[in-house]
Amino acid sequence: MARSVLCVDTADRIDDVATAVEDDESLTARTATSVEAARETLEAEPIVCVVTGYDLPDGTGLEVVGAIRETAPQTPCVLFTDVPPAEIDTASFEESIVEYLNRDLPDAHDRLGFIANDVIDYSAQASFIRPDDEDERLETLAQYDVDALPIEESFERLTDLIASHFDAAVSFIGLIEEDEENFLACHGGDLDTLTREDTICTHSMLQEDVMVVEDILQDARFAENEQLQNLGIRSYAGANMTASNGQVIGQVCLLDHEPRGYDAEEQAELEDFADTAMEILELRQTVRDAERTEVAQ
Amino acid sequence: MSSLSADGFEVSDGIGPLESGTSVLLTGDDTDALESVFARVVAPADGERSVVLATDSRGRAVKRSLNGAKRGAGDRSSVLTAAGSPSGDDIKTVDDLSDLTGMGMEFAALAADSQQETDRFRTGIFLCSTIAGELDDTRSLYRFLNSTFLTEIRRSDGIGVCALDTSADIGANMDSTVTGLKTSFKSHVAVEATGPGEATLTISDADGERAVDVSI
Repeated sequence: MARSVLCVDTADRIDDVATAVEDDESLTARTATSVEAARETLEAEPIVCVVTGYDLPDGTGLEVVGAIRETAPQTPCVLFTDVPPAEIDTASFEESIVEYLNRDLPDAHDRLGFIANDVIDYSAQASFIRPDDEDERLETLAQYDVDALPIEESFERLTDLIASHFDAAVSFIGLIEEDEENFLACHGGDLDTLTREDTICTHSMLQEDVMVVEDILQDARFAENEQLQNLGIRSYAGANMTASNGQVIGQVCLLDHEPRGYDAEEQAELEDFADTAMEILELRQTVRDAERTEVAQ
Repeated sequence: MSSLSADGFEVSDGIGPLESGTSVLLTGDDTDALESVFARVVAPADGERSVVLATDSRGRAVKRSLNGAKRGAGDRSSVLTAAGSPSGDDIKTVDDLSDLTGMGMEFAALAADSQQETDRFRTGIFLCSTIAGELDDTRSLYRFLNSTFLTEIRRSDGIGVCALDTSADIGANMDSTVTGLKTSFKSHVAVEATGPGEATLTISDADGERAVDVSI
């Protein structure tokens, strides 16, 4: 299925941009010749990438970028323009990452399709740190058919026990998937999924030991995170669920509504709970695999 | 010293040679030692170009530092810096390190210009910790590194190095931040100054971990 790319530029340039995009067979161009028309298209159609010029009749290409950041913030944008970066007013867009491609480069026409595909492929992972061996980690995670395993009640009992043991407001077990964290059980909160960019577990999973954030408001990685603010979270502790091949697939975590630390003994206990959660998952999967084999025979 | 085959880049002092596509996270609390090692990785050989994003050094100072690592390397480099004034086509400036949008576009434009001249490309950021200290939300730094810096290395099959001063105040736990960042880079080099003009590099990559004593 072709990827739908919104091309935005002035009337005298739009055909050239759309042609450059559609020279790549995997891309289909939708066109708009103003910021307003671009807004309307973004609301009406599923767009996976925006390619926009800078000078538009009713604004700038960065206003188009702003529009898509409001509705679909992960959608990548390419500024395809002959306006030099120094002449582009970024005052209201200082932390939006936009791909810049100078349309005056000799190979700009040929590069546009390549870059559009590249940013589409990689945009979802751009906003968070990810392990270098992420593909292997995801392959490991895929071996656990969590939707089919009867683990929900076991994990809910476990998170109840964990919260009680640590006298914590919230305890949860979450699996870290490609773009989001999927919460399998949660005591004291109503968590379903969060994009990885918004989770502390995205950072915690990269550490071998327990990660503790005593006061989220004092940590620049999390202090501006609206999702965490909305949940009223002030402190965090997370331990890895590590599969037998060493890949970290999830986290067992504690949250509290006030600043809080965890001593070495408590951190070791949290790791024990994470190991227990992993064992439950492994055992359930082993039983299911055995049942399948039996049925097949 | 000339570059290796098309698959690798020459780097002195046991860090290299580095395969195409290699990204290096360089950490340490002695900025002079960091700068010396940084220059050795990013200084382009004949037939190569480099783009350096500098936060605290003027463009000409960066070029001098690269010349010190490799004869003529400064002339084969473009610098985007937050210090000093622009000069010619290869020293550009940014007014505000927290303007990642503008900085990313300037960086991409310089990288594209360099890659028009040669497909042998090196790049570096010195110091990433200064950028982190200017931002309210560290997630923006990850976006910048992933979408701009690491992407440029991946697409160009070049090499790149990102230097982090671990003594800087970045508003977050430094050890935890380094642990996180390390996973996004192919190689980690920890620089420890051991005496006047001497340092130990602890290099961690796919081949494991090794320590190398170097003069700086």
